Amino acid sequence: MRTTRGEQVFNVVNIVVLFILGLTTLLPFLHVLAKSLSSQVAISLGQVTFLPVDFQIGTFQYVLEQEQFVGSFRNSVIVTLVGTVLALTMTVMIAYPLSKPKLKGRKFFMLVFVFVMLFSGGMVPNYLLYKTFGLVNTLWALIVPGMLSVFNILLVKTFFEELPESVEESARIDGANNFTILFRIVLPMALPVMAAVGLFFAVAYWNNYFSAVLYITKPDLKPLQMYLYELISQTTPEMGMELDADRMMNVDPESIRAATIMLSTLPILCLYPFLQKYFVKGITIGSVKG
Amino acid sequence: MQAKPIQSPGSAAAARPKPKRELLAYLKTNYDMYLLLIPGLLFALVFNYLPMYGITLAFKDFNMFAGNNPFTSLLASPWVGLEHFENVFGRADFKQALANTLLISVYKLVFLFPLPILLAILLNELRVAWFKKVLQTVLYLPHFLSWAVVSGIFVTLLGSTGIVNQFLDAATGHTISFLMDKSIFRSVLVATDGWKDIGWSSIIYLAAITGIDQEQYEAATVDGASKLQKIVYITLPGIAPTILLLLILKVGHILDAGFEQIFIMYNPTVYEVADIIGTYVYRMGLGQMNFSLGTAVGLFNSVVAFVLIVSANSLAKRFMKKSIW
Repeated sequence: MRTTRGEQVFNVVNIVVLFILGLTTLLPFLHVLAKSLSSQVAISLGQVTFLPVDFQIGTFQYVLEQEQFVGSFRNSVIVTLVGTVLALTMTVMIAYPLSKPKLKGRKFFMLVFVFVMLFSGGMVPNYLLYKTFGLVNTLWALIVPGMLSVFNILLVKTFFEELPESVEESARIDGANNFTILFRIVLPMALPVMAAVGLFFAVAYWNNYFSAVLYITKPDLKPLQMYLYELISQTTPEMGMELDADRMMNVDPESIRAATIMLSTLPILCLYPFLQKYFVKGITIGSVKG
Repeated sequence: MQAKPIQSPGSAAAARPKPKRELLAYLKTNYDMYLLLIPGLLFALVFNYLPMYGITLAFKDFNMFAGNNPFTSLLASPWVGLEHFENVFGRADFKQALANTLLISVYKLVFLFPLPILLAILLNELRVAWFKKVLQTVLYLPHFLSWAVVSGIFVTLLGSTGIVNQFLDAATGHTISFLMDKSIFRSVLVATDGWKDIGWSSIIYLAAITGIDQEQYEAATVDGASKLQKIVYITLPGIAPTILLLLILKVGHILDAGFEQIFIMYNPTVYEVADIIGTYVYRMGLGQMNFSLGTAVGLFNSVVAFVLIVSANSLAKRFMKKSIW
């Protein structure tokens, strides 16, 4: 089809606008990456924009040698792995029965979970509950809050509902019980949605810092995002002293911050290609539900 | 058309067993479904419903040392009625937090709601397939970064020695303290929230645009419609239900001004303009151990939010025939 002159102008303008938008999204990230890979001199002279100046990886080495960083990273990995497995298991266990229209009491059970999404006791009662159960200052305090995600339950439930009923029926005639059907037939068919929801959980666990702000005071239990948060806000006086010591060791505090940011993002960047495959479908099912 | 087999009333009654027997038989074949539900129900009961009992804190004079643990202390603390609420609503800092919450939400709504729609339309018109793909990958990415990372990135960019201020200094001779200046901080909140989520929010509109009947565009082309006319008369009306649905739901969440973001980005110099209900509850309730006061504010927030969200959803159900649950 022939394009008119007006359309050509539109297309060019469109490409330019979107290109600028893409740059706006990408450049802040590149700037931080560049800072993490530049020398202290170049940073303090303000020479670093979007490419590293006096390329070096010493800052990364320095950050990776910090005991607190390594410990926080390990905590985050543990919480993310254990949390994702538990949360995914629970999501399936709730979503599968609820996906059966014939389940007696389905409406009531739905209400029990949906209400949780709409109303909560609030920050203070939650804190006191965790304290009563002795969860404060344990890694469980980071895992438990993310385990029940009603949004993800609805997503998985919708997927289950769309699976062909006939496959389950024929398995039932062959004598399979509900468990067998779930594990041997439904779950293998639901792999894409499992991957999507699993990745959503993993990202949420990895990125969570606020549970740690609420429930963790022991330095060796802090997750990575909280370590980063403290590094950025530099609220604690020790942190400032640490940074002064760093300056004497010829490592720039700005560069340390940049390297820590990059390292905390690394797992997300590794997961991202897999994520992208699934999330568009995931969010479309999840948000426009009939 | 097939004729329905006619059943005599007598045979139907005979075929239907007694209700109680029916229920038992049903449970016998489906008990495993309920077994699957039990852990989830217990979890919700303990970690979601039990804290709701803790709401009584808002009506009690909480004494941490009245019992052996917070729960028994709560039971042992004396009732004080609405004292905390009267106290809270009289406080200037609470009024400030409430006003900030609404203001920041409205700013975000006005500036950030239309942009993903525009972005989706522009992306949809993009004919260079590889560029579109790369662009989407880039634009969706920030959504998956934590607020700690995003905040770290913008502190690096906007800090007093950051690249933006270096540039400003070179160009104009003076710098702006973006993160410390009361008159600018809210704009920073809106802009960074936009940076993080505009791309991601456009997905849903892109999906809606894909659902528009392509024949409409072809017919319009035959009639000589320009690109802009097609956007205004076909694309926009086509996604209008989605836009309205999301707008209603957004309004339902107006009391959530972006707690995680503000908590991580604000500092005492900008409390006056950035303190929202969530951060206020944290500082009063947990920071200053003022548990009852914190719970009272939290309860106020939860109840208003609940009413807003439920009404928003029923509006969406009524007018759009769609809802989130």
